Amino acid sequence: MHGSTSASRAPTEGTADRGHRWRQLHRIAPLLLLAFGVAAVIGSRRLGLGELTAPGPGLWPFIVSLLLTGTAAVLVLIDPAEDYEPWTRGTVRIIAGLVSLGVFILLFQTFGFVVSAFLMLVLWLRVFGGETWRWTLGLAVGGTAVMYLLFVELLGVPFPDGLVDAVIGG
Amino acid sequence: MDSWNGILQGFSVALTPTNLLYVFLGVLIGTVIGVLPGLGPTASIALLLPITYTLEPVTAIILLAGIYYGSMYGGTITSVLLRLPGEAASVVTTFDGYQMAKQGRAGPALGIAAIGSYIGGTVSVIGMILLAPPLADLAVSFGPPEYVALTILGILLVTYLGTGSVLKSLCMAALGLLLATVGLDPITGTARFTFGEVALFNGLDFVAVAMGLFGVGEIIHSLERTEKVQAVTSKIKGIWPTRKDFRDSSGAIGRGSLLGFVIGVLPGGGGVVSSLASYAMEKRRAKDPSRFGKGAIEGVAGPETANNASSTSAFIPLLTLGIPPNVVLALIFGALAQQNIVAGPQLIQDEPEIFWGVIASMVIGNMMLLALNIPLVGIFIQMLRVRAGILAAFALLVTMAGVFSVNNSAFDMWVVLVFGIIGWLMKKTGFEPGPLVLAFVLGSILERAFRQSMLLSGGDLDIFVTRPISGGMFAFMALIIIVSAITSRRRKAVFGRVDPADVDETDESSPDADRQVAAEGSPGADSTTDEPSGSTSTTPGER
Repeated sequence: MHGSTSASRAPTEGTADRGHRWRQLHRIAPLLLLAFGVAAVIGSRRLGLGELTAPGPGLWPFIVSLLLTGTAAVLVLIDPAEDYEPWTRGTVRIIAGLVSLGVFILLFQTFGFVVSAFLMLVLWLRVFGGETWRWTLGLAVGGTAVMYLLFVELLGVPFPDGLVDAVIGG
Repeated sequence: MDSWNGILQGFSVALTPTNLLYVFLGVLIGTVIGVLPGLGPTASIALLLPITYTLEPVTAIILLAGIYYGSMYGGTITSVLLRLPGEAASVVTTFDGYQMAKQGRAGPALGIAAIGSYIGGTVSVIGMILLAPPLADLAVSFGPPEYVALTILGILLVTYLGTGSVLKSLCMAALGLLLATVGLDPITGTARFTFGEVALFNGLDFVAVAMGLFGVGEIIHSLERTEKVQAVTSKIKGIWPTRKDFRDSSGAIGRGSLLGFVIGVLPGGGGVVSSLASYAMEKRRAKDPSRFGKGAIEGVAGPETANNASSTSAFIPLLTLGIPPNVVLALIFGALAQQNIVAGPQLIQDEPEIFWGVIASMVIGNMMLLALNIPLVGIFIQMLRVRAGILAAFALLVTMAGVFSVNNSAFDMWVVLVFGIIGWLMKKTGFEPGPLVLAFVLGSILERAFRQSMLLSGGDLDIFVTRPISGGMFAFMALIIIVSAITSRRRKAVFGRVDPADVDETDESSPDADRQVAAEGSPGADSTTDEPSGSTSTTPGER
């Protein structure tokens, strides 16, 4: 993953982006880690460090968050930039994909497995997978059925009650 | 119990119909995912973790172990045919294996890889039978300070032997250790970093973290790639190597077996390091090193043997010391822990059927793999027709449903999503998830051992260096840190000697691989330009 900015990458896109835009952006990762580390240092101090003879609950988290803060601080300064991947137009797809997963969980909690699984398969097969409608619907229906049988009937997983259960149960 | 009785007991466990079925399933799944690019052994094992909870512990590890070494066989196929490593350890095989395929010798390349893997795996199992019991006996005498040293050594070696920046890996290890402290303090019962969330009192669920980082993170990351790889249509002929092939590669197989075994036992060892080391060794030993990279059969036989040998011997530190030497073994360690089985020196005594059962299953599994790989290689090649989009959609759904099923908790689904985002960002920014997960798994062991050591010594840190074994291990760590400063440059030189474009993806799975093939316009690749719409997958060649 660290070499993808080298010549091995197809020169089709990203060359412009790679130039200046993410050169500043790439510092964000260690900065975030640094902030996280500092917050953890403060948090573990609040938990109570105790003594080495009688370690408190915060001592160990304190030690490891110091390590995190230290390494992150050094990375802010000397982070080698070459192992960063450039941001591409594909990033938008990814954010859409992540949002869709969040929506899936919400749907899952309210409507149960069958509806949410079917919708998610349709979305992922059609939009992200680029399948034809025929393949998408076939796979989504079949896939949902197989998954339902596998998890609910075979493994006995108690998914939240959903529309289908309401119909069957009613 | 002596080893002989142990082996007999192991076979009596491994030969039950259920366990035979799961060995077979394991090696089959392993081969398949080895073939499918983008879904490496780590991601697959992470995805399958929830299913293992419904199984007996011994059956669960038999399955997961089968996936691990099975993927070592399967990864070879795409490396040879498409120059596209199905998993990281097979990257080296692309150098000479693909050249052999271009010369029409794909059959012998795959054949010798399967035979070498079988021999390497078997040698490793024998070594394991001999080495593991005395090592466990030694480890029984370990106290908390030794465990502190051992866990730190494990984490350190994983960060040092990883492929990315050592500092970044260390940073991730620290993050993993920190995340492991979330939940109730094991000694005082204080809630730490839970922010009042009851679901966090038992800590972050290991399965959810692993599935997020490796499963979702990986799949999400692959969304950015829109190139497709066309399936190989040509038939593979003459898979059984000639007598000359055997003569040429017998030395490489022998050396690869031993080298792989030794590297696998070391923390941080495992597939990638051993196959690289074997390749370097064969090239150095060769009378005519210039043949390497142009289709030398030793360059396939040695590394393929070594990676399978090491993936077997990597179980030694897990089963005898309770220290997973690499990420895949960390996942297996976590799977065991969820079943309330602590891998460690007591395992041989307390749960002999697990210890010996797994070993016996490896003997059987390697035979199955040989049988699967030699005559059935053509069927696995058909797997390449499965489109990445379909794979991603189903893998995600299985992940989400699977993680829910572990604790019947929707909270864990959000944990998966959050760690999926983190995993993807880590891939984008060159941080490796491996050290994080390993440190996360080892974190609670390390903290407990550290605190016990402090109580033992009355708060004196000297305890870690004055006891001979832990002192020795810390000295060894100091040595690693010094030596690595020198060898990191040399390692780059080794990488540099082979085609530099090939070694870009010494990562757990190789998501960038087909992009690379496409970029170089290799004959096996249907290179298409980036089109975010994803419409490229409907090219006729795909159907």
